[in-house]
Amino acid sequence: MANQATQLYQQHNIEEYFIDKEPFYLEVADEIDIFEAAYAQRVPILLKGPTGSGKTRFVEYMSWRLNQARKRDGRADQMSPLVTVACHEDLTASDLVGRYLLEPEGTRWIDGPLTRAVKHGGICYLDEVVEARKDTTVLIHPLSDHRRLLHIEKIGEVLESHPNFLLVISYNPGYQSALKDLKHSTRQRFIAIEFDFPPRDLEGPIIQHESGVDITTAQQLALLGEKIRNLIGQGLQEGVSTRLLIYAGKLIEHGIAPRRACEVAVVWGLTDDHETQASVMEIVTSIFP
Amino acid sequence: MTNEHDSVIEELKKHPSALISAYEAVADEVTEALGPAPALRWAQQGVRIASQGPRAWEAATEYFKASPQVVQTIGFTQFERWAESGIELTAEAPVIAASFFRASPRVLPTLAPRHIAGWAGLGRGLSKGTWKSSSLAARFFDVSDELVQQVNFHELQLFVSLVQTLASRSYDLAAEALVLGQRVLPAVSEREELISLAKVLAETSWREVRGSFEAATRVGNSVDRRLRPRYFALSERLARQGLGNVSAFMVESAQSLGLLPQELQTMVLERAEDLADTSAEAVSAFLRTAPNVLDRISPAQLDTWFGRGLEFLKENPDAGIAYFRLESARAETLLDQLSSSIELEKVHGLLRMYSNALAGTEVELQESTDITHRNIGWVSVEFATTDGKSVFLPPTVDLRDTKSENFAWLKVVTTHQVGHLEFQSFDFDFHAPSAGFNDYREGIAEGLGATPGTTEVASFFDLFPVRAMAADLFSTTESARIDQRIVEQYRGLAPSYERVQNDALASRGPIEMMPAQQALMEMLIRQSLGQSSARIPSTYAEQARQLAGLLRSVRNRDATVEDSAEAALRMYYTLSQVPNAFVPLDDWEDVDLSNAGFDEPTLEEIVERLRAEAEEAQEEASGDEYESPDDVDYRGDFKPEMVQLLAQMRGQAEPGEEDGSESAQGISQAELEQALRESTEIDFADDAEVTTVAANMMKEMGADAPQNPAGSGYNQIPHVDEEGGPLEPLEPRSYAYDEWDFRANDYRPRWCIVQERLAVSGETAFYNETMHSYAGLIEQIRRQFESVRPEMYRKVKRLPEGEDVDLDAGIEALIDLRNKMTPDERIYWRRNKDERDVAVVFLLDMSASTAEAVEESSRESDWNAPGDPVAYTAWLRARRGETARRPYKRIIDVEKESMVLLMNALETIGDRYGVYGFSGFGRENVEFYVIKEVEELFSDRVKRRMDKVAPLHATRMGPAIRHATTKLANVDAKTKFMFVISDGRPQDRGYSREGVEKEYAVQDTRMALMEARNLDITPFCLTVDRNGHDYLRTMTGDLNYEVLPDIMELPRRLPQLYKKITL
Repeated sequence: MANQATQLYQQHNIEEYFIDKEPFYLEVADEIDIFEAAYAQRVPILLKGPTGSGKTRFVEYMSWRLNQARKRDGRADQMSPLVTVACHEDLTASDLVGRYLLEPEGTRWIDGPLTRAVKHGGICYLDEVVEARKDTTVLIHPLSDHRRLLHIEKIGEVLESHPNFLLVISYNPGYQSALKDLKHSTRQRFIAIEFDFPPRDLEGPIIQHESGVDITTAQQLALLGEKIRNLIGQGLQEGVSTRLLIYAGKLIEHGIAPRRACEVAVVWGLTDDHETQASVMEIVTSIFP
Repeated sequence: MTNEHDSVIEELKKHPSALISAYEAVADEVTEALGPAPALRWAQQGVRIASQGPRAWEAATEYFKASPQVVQTIGFTQFERWAESGIELTAEAPVIAASFFRASPRVLPTLAPRHIAGWAGLGRGLSKGTWKSSSLAARFFDVSDELVQQVNFHELQLFVSLVQTLASRSYDLAAEALVLGQRVLPAVSEREELISLAKVLAETSWREVRGSFEAATRVGNSVDRRLRPRYFALSERLARQGLGNVSAFMVESAQSLGLLPQELQTMVLERAEDLADTSAEAVSAFLRTAPNVLDRISPAQLDTWFGRGLEFLKENPDAGIAYFRLESARAETLLDQLSSSIELEKVHGLLRMYSNALAGTEVELQESTDITHRNIGWVSVEFATTDGKSVFLPPTVDLRDTKSENFAWLKVVTTHQVGHLEFQSFDFDFHAPSAGFNDYREGIAEGLGATPGTTEVASFFDLFPVRAMAADLFSTTESARIDQRIVEQYRGLAPSYERVQNDALASRGPIEMMPAQQALMEMLIRQSLGQSSARIPSTYAEQARQLAGLLRSVRNRDATVEDSAEAALRMYYTLSQVPNAFVPLDDWEDVDLSNAGFDEPTLEEIVERLRAEAEEAQEEASGDEYESPDDVDYRGDFKPEMVQLLAQMRGQAEPGEEDGSESAQGISQAELEQALRESTEIDFADDAEVTTVAANMMKEMGADAPQNPAGSGYNQIPHVDEEGGPLEPLEPRSYAYDEWDFRANDYRPRWCIVQERLAVSGETAFYNETMHSYAGLIEQIRRQFESVRPEMYRKVKRLPEGEDVDLDAGIEALIDLRNKMTPDERIYWRRNKDERDVAVVFLLDMSASTAEAVEESSRESDWNAPGDPVAYTAWLRARRGETARRPYKRIIDVEKESMVLLMNALETIGDRYGVYGFSGFGRENVEFYVIKEVEELFSDRVKRRMDKVAPLHATRMGPAIRHATTKLANVDAKTKFMFVISDGRPQDRGYSREGVEKEYAVQDTRMALMEARNLDITPFCLTVDRNGHDYLRTMTGDLNYEVLPDIMELPRRLPQLYKKITL
């Protein structure tokens, strides 16, 4: 009995990770149709937008939605996994493709996440792709045009993609660093869907759903979001993300006073500059009693 | 020779034996140093000294003893003069001469030879032939060595003259002063001033001298160096006026000044000087309490507080002194009042950001005096208002008792003004439909056969015979709508808002004293402020209900400004039928209007009424003429007609926005005057004033105004259109560049000449001082930058993970495995980051405006610069003279310091960089100063050039950027950057003028930056101009710029930015 303790986590192989529950996503424009059309034609997709504007959630939602369609059509065996790689500045091509591991009797090759996605027909989502090292572009280019090939130099193989495979990358154009811009040769292999923070009327319900607060509070938070984003470029480099507003909502739902919740979740998270903090706090105190 | 020598020995032997033995002890040494003949002269001089009198041999003994060392320090001619001085002193008193000779070996090495006689003379001057005076003089020589080392001869003379003065009172004190001087003077840098002060004290209350010397050391520790001369001068002034205890004053005031930062010290000292003429005691009291007072109020408020005190002081000295001692109730009360008030300046940044956030557009916040000064129709200083782009607020708020309440008031006022922008009061469109009414406006206009007015709002007001009443109704309704929207949306603000409304309600005058029409108007205002029941004339209860009902109908979140107009229109219909006559006091009643509704009049009824009224207006109307009600203070000045007028004029000043509507054709001065005359939003005294205001508005908005004497003095800058053709670079190191003309959409070929010059060399001190004063920050920056220093190796081995297995490490690990040992798991290698290959140039703005003191940089802009070259130069000189005196830092100094810090950091990471300054005057003379070339190595030469970077003329950015681009394009580097650091928009003669052509300069600069970008150079603009957003956005295309709100942030920010952008 003792070793029958309930397992509180779940472990999946990368290629077996499917999203079961419908992620909450509200369409802002026609991005769902665009994604579906692009997927149908296997056109790679670039998601642009500031942090916390719903890019990752959108990909999850689309992955779920496409798999639902397959289930409905009785093609459950063709389910496409979602492989997400958060790129960072030390992420190299090997990290994506795979590498040799040492074993007692020699070495063994293991596939990296990109290789697995290519083999199993997954959607490979490279989050914040500009952060990765430049050598990753060597992999991305042949995968993102008509060839759909993955070259694995080290073992001398070329992989032709599984028909379901699709490359999705995201990037945040708000960064100022000129060295971290996406190259044109890379950019021009993707169709681009622009994300921005949802309008107030839409953001309210999102906050309500995600945090569980009542709709009035959610709309006040959305109003706060809208007002704060008016300050982009005048003290703020990025507007407050929907995510932070949801966190504020969650704190409020848990009994924290709204002004305080906004202070910790929004104001302090947003900036370290005292005057800007004070200004944003005045907006908060205007909106919340 | 020998005979002569023998005779010397003979002579010496006549004196006590100590003399001859002193001679013999040094004779050989001196002879060797001087040679035989001069040595004989030397010995003969000794004989002469000894023969001066009874105890002269003692002096001669000291003469011989001192000689070997003196011979080493001065030449023989001077040596003889020295001996001569000694002989004269011996004649005065041998004891003085003995001291003189004794002190010489220590003094002469530091005393200039030409002063030797003078020095001896100073001692002789002290001697008055008495025993006491001789011993004082001897004492003087004893202490001379330390004095001479630290104090120059002039100061020494002054000091001795002080000692002389003291000696005339008491030799003991004089002797004490000598010792004190020896100790204190070297420690004080303002000796002249101190001695001068002490001399005054020596004459008035001589015991204070000692105290003042002791106090002087404290002054040195606490008063800023630049202020000390003034401080001593002030003390001296007080001493002359007979202030009793000067030394105590110095100790106390120095201590309290020491609590203040330098700029406040200056201010306080200046004020103290103002007091000095009136009362020395007040000065002392003020200096003592100043830090305490400044703890509670701001420097600007100190002026108010001080001014009041000065008045009291002049009326009644005792009261004034008590005031400055903070021992008077009046001083305290005023202090409380001032300390609870809010100054706009302090919360400006905060509220500006707040307003921007709420409005969603860029709103500039200004003091209300800024708009009244412009004389374009706004006159009220204490009211908040907006011209559609800026919000104007009162400079100080002191209506409430505490700071937080005053701030709450200001926040409500700001929110209301911004509310007009957020909820679009000024977007009123005559033809746009309202949300909740049958739209009557067009129908009425048709019915009356009205022609469209100058603006949309004017078209609406034109419908009504009594324009003022229509305007009041509209303004009340619209303000009520805005208030409603704000309270609904900003629920956190609602309590403060309601309090302000209640206060406004409480301050309204008695309604029963008003004639009926005005009373109903007043009732409406009170309703809009949240009153539910109202006191009204019973006869007009029905009309009151109708008005209140209409007001209620716009107080919901769907109502727009057009709804306010429709409501106002119906209100007018009702109100205009009420005769404006007084109502007996018995005929008033209280009614509850909180649920009032309204009856809809028909379009025909309204048209009929308006037409009838217009005809009636020819005859005498019943009752009094309608007068506008009192303003509601927190709502300020609401002038929709003026705002629309200005917006329209702004629109026409910007080319390319001709949307075909009738307004885009432009407004002429005559039309504008007509519109102003009709408007009820401004009260004009006479017709000349209309012309003035109209002319000012035209200028303000950039339209061409006719020459007009009534408006002279305001911002009249004739635009200089630059004629002429391409220029040729004739001098060496001058280059011609094209300039972009955005109106022609083409380049003007070879339009500007850039003259490249090497920056003038100064001292390295500036560089070193900067390094010194920012030592802490430098360390921080160095640490940050060191983390990006490129490593030497491209491949990093033995990593726990990496690109591939490192063969050697892998084999070792396998061997370990086979031997059943735990292998090292770090068996991978990884390529390191690309090597840094960055070249960057920095362009520093050296325009005249950078001479502005940092604190005052925001006050006056370059726009007032005259266009005429002669006048411009005079203006510059006056301005530079003004700033040169200030001990403050100038903008350029901060720019330079920041650059020094960054250069230092760049040396750590090894990026190649060039530093250039630019300025100039006119297109033929764009000055481009080389401080450091990209390929030049950093050296003392660079440091020296940095020193002399100073404000010069104007800012023609385009050619400077093009020249820097050319330089950078010739550098071989993978990544190239260009930083432009400026303090304002680009401008130069014929390059830009406010309103007239500012766009030209911005567009040319933009083009220059684009050219750089096309050559793979990433430009970045950094400005300390708070108004930088508007043009920088156009100039740089969104991303690559930053506006620093506070220039003092620059030293910290620049290296951060550099790191961020280039990594």
